[in-house]
Amino acid sequence: MKLSKNVMRWLCGAVAVPFLLAGCANGDDGSGSSSQNTGSAGGFGEAQAGSQSSESEKSENSESSTADSGEEEKGGEIVYWSMWESTEPQAIAIQQIADEYELETGIKVNIEWKGRSGITDGIIPALDSGIHIDMFDQSLWRVAAIFGDHCLDIEDLVEKSGYADTANEFLLQYSRETSEGVLKVIPYQINTYCFWYNEDIFGEAGVTEKPKTWEEFLDVCRKVKDAGYIPVTTDDAYALNMWNWHIGRLVGEEAEKKISDENLWDDPAVLKAATDFAEMASKGYFSPHIGSNVWPNGQNVEFGGGQAAMYLCASYLPNEVSAIVGDEFRWGAFAYPEVESVESNVEGAFANDLSYGNLSAQGIAISTNTEMAEETFAFIEKMTKGEGDLLIARNCNGIPADSTNKEWPDLLSSAREAVENIKVLVNYGATGTADMQPIVKENVIKLYAGTITPEDFVDTLMSAVD
Amino acid sequence: MKKQKPLTLLIFLGPMLLIFLGLNVYPIVKTVAMSFFHIKGITDPVSKWKFTGLWNYNKLLHTSLFQRSLLNMGKIWLYGGLAIITLSLLFAVMLTRNIRFKRFFKTVIYLPYIVSAVALSAMWLQYVYNPQFGLLKKLFTALHLDGLASTPWTDADHKFMSMMVAYCFGMIGYFMLIWFSGITRISPELKEAARIDGASRLQADRYITLPLLKGIFKTILTMWTISVAGFFTWSQLFSTDGAELSTITPTVYMYSLIYGTGGTTDDRQAGMGAAVGIILSICTVIVFMLCNRLIKEEDLEM
Repeated sequence: MKLSKNVMRWLCGAVAVPFLLAGCANGDDGSGSSSQNTGSAGGFGEAQAGSQSSESEKSENSESSTADSGEEEKGGEIVYWSMWESTEPQAIAIQQIADEYELETGIKVNIEWKGRSGITDGIIPALDSGIHIDMFDQSLWRVAAIFGDHCLDIEDLVEKSGYADTANEFLLQYSRETSEGVLKVIPYQINTYCFWYNEDIFGEAGVTEKPKTWEEFLDVCRKVKDAGYIPVTTDDAYALNMWNWHIGRLVGEEAEKKISDENLWDDPAVLKAATDFAEMASKGYFSPHIGSNVWPNGQNVEFGGGQAAMYLCASYLPNEVSAIVGDEFRWGAFAYPEVESVESNVEGAFANDLSYGNLSAQGIAISTNTEMAEETFAFIEKMTKGEGDLLIARNCNGIPADSTNKEWPDLLSSAREAVENIKVLVNYGATGTADMQPIVKENVIKLYAGTITPEDFVDTLMSAVD
Repeated sequence: MKKQKPLTLLIFLGPMLLIFLGLNVYPIVKTVAMSFFHIKGITDPVSKWKFTGLWNYNKLLHTSLFQRSLLNMGKIWLYGGLAIITLSLLFAVMLTRNIRFKRFFKTVIYLPYIVSAVALSAMWLQYVYNPQFGLLKKLFTALHLDGLASTPWTDADHKFMSMMVAYCFGMIGYFMLIWFSGITRISPELKEAARIDGASRLQADRYITLPLLKGIFKTILTMWTISVAGFFTWSQLFSTDGAELSTITPTVYMYSLIYGTGGTTDDRQAGMGAAVGIILSICTVIVFMLCNRLIKEEDLEM
């Protein structure tokens, strides 16, 4: 069947019109309103696509309603890409703070709940492609070290507002150091690494004092084992924590970093750490399932279920486990014990004491693309100071970021002593370079499980070095 | 054939061509170019790129972790392929017979494919393989197979196998349906004729059904190869925090190169990540070429 020329032309026209319209719509995306921009970010990952489109729909709806009431012109809008999922307690608290901020200032905070990977994978491409984002968050280290080029220098804003007077000085300093000496990232929802323990098991085992040295720690393990419990457990996700801390305690942060970055796995300190863990394994101080514990089996079933006494993790552990163990679980915490010094080939290595401790946090930054730096900083202040900070701390069982907030969540109170003892902030990590990390992790777990000797451990790592 | 006017061609082909150039050709060309440069972040401007020639490729081929990821991918392709293709064919052949509850079995076998990989992996990791109360633990204990009951299915030595079992469980239904559609397309008269000539059922399957499924086999092999080259989700799900040696694949390695491992140093290398992508493409093309050379449909005579 032949179609006439006119019909063909009409058909061609009909096909071409949607493409032209689509082209026009794309053009608007680049320079149009923020909600259109954020909506166009839906292509960064399959997993995010659904939530992003629904979020952008929400934002479009809310934007149209604010535009109708005239608030859009009055206050403007801050676009915040958040690392949280909308149902997490952090997100609920932040949304509440944003709503209050809008009521007070007329400025709407349009929050896109991206989740961890949504920020990790998507924030730099989004900012580079000109999408309107005023602020974003992720772990303090990641924002400062990886996203630092896209973060606004906020030294002036911080100085003008006196923000630093009531902030955590360790973390502000750490934030500066990680961003090449310039403050770009504000820490919030602070956490610390501790050995968390079940006080009831300690009581039953006759442990009355928190261990401060490695010998005392081994003694606690012996008593707990004798009482019929598993002294220590962990999961694959957190398996490297003990490893990092042990080498960190043996040689200090700088030497540990050197060992890790330069693959100095034949250093005597590495063998010593491996030997200490092999000894624990041989005495049955680790869970018999430690080699196959997939998160969260260790923390929920073994530790939360009352089978195991101790678990080394950041202070978000009580929050993660609290729903399982309930209010009756008696939480205890102590800092990673001091270890005996060991000879190391790395210059400057030294065994350190309990005054060397870790604090980490989520980091929030203002994007260099923003045109509302002061308003965005004011919102960050509302989030991280006073009532806003307390709300986040309570909702998420985190350590307050505002030093005037003396109230800590009950679940974390046992860690307070360890945190208040910190004089030097450290970030231990002996996980190796990207090419070594999976190899180190697998063999550290084998050490805990007692399926590899310390000597084989060192040999395996050295043979994997390119 | 009537010659089309250039304007008509432009109107009909233009938009698609532009989309193809923008979404396919441009990313390929850019990825190839990136693989010859040292680039930290994936969106770094070209002014920040440093030309390194073949250094990325050389470094990759001498990195034990990347070698391991290639080995894992090869094992997934071979062992997983053998298991999935054989079992799915077996199920498809069974379901084309006149067995009772045929539809029910077909649905049950296909069902895991439409369940989210996240949910499936949680079921396998947290329930089936659990060392304390897992299905396998209980089953083997009940059967007094103590050695198997105490097997740590998710430790470093068993995790790869456990991942493959879980993955195959999810994928068999999908390939079974492809086989099934291929088998039902074969005219029953051919088999009937063979049976009349004295062939048994097995002989009819061996000499009639299987040769006529060569084309489907080639399609399945191609699709399997593509899915193995992009094997990412299951590897990530079986390694809770960062890549693990036993389950790492090239795409997971590429991801950690591009976005960093989240350690204490910024170790992103987007240029090297691009090189991983190119090596993966080359591997896939080699497999396709081998398939085309070894499996020839025109050998068949009807």
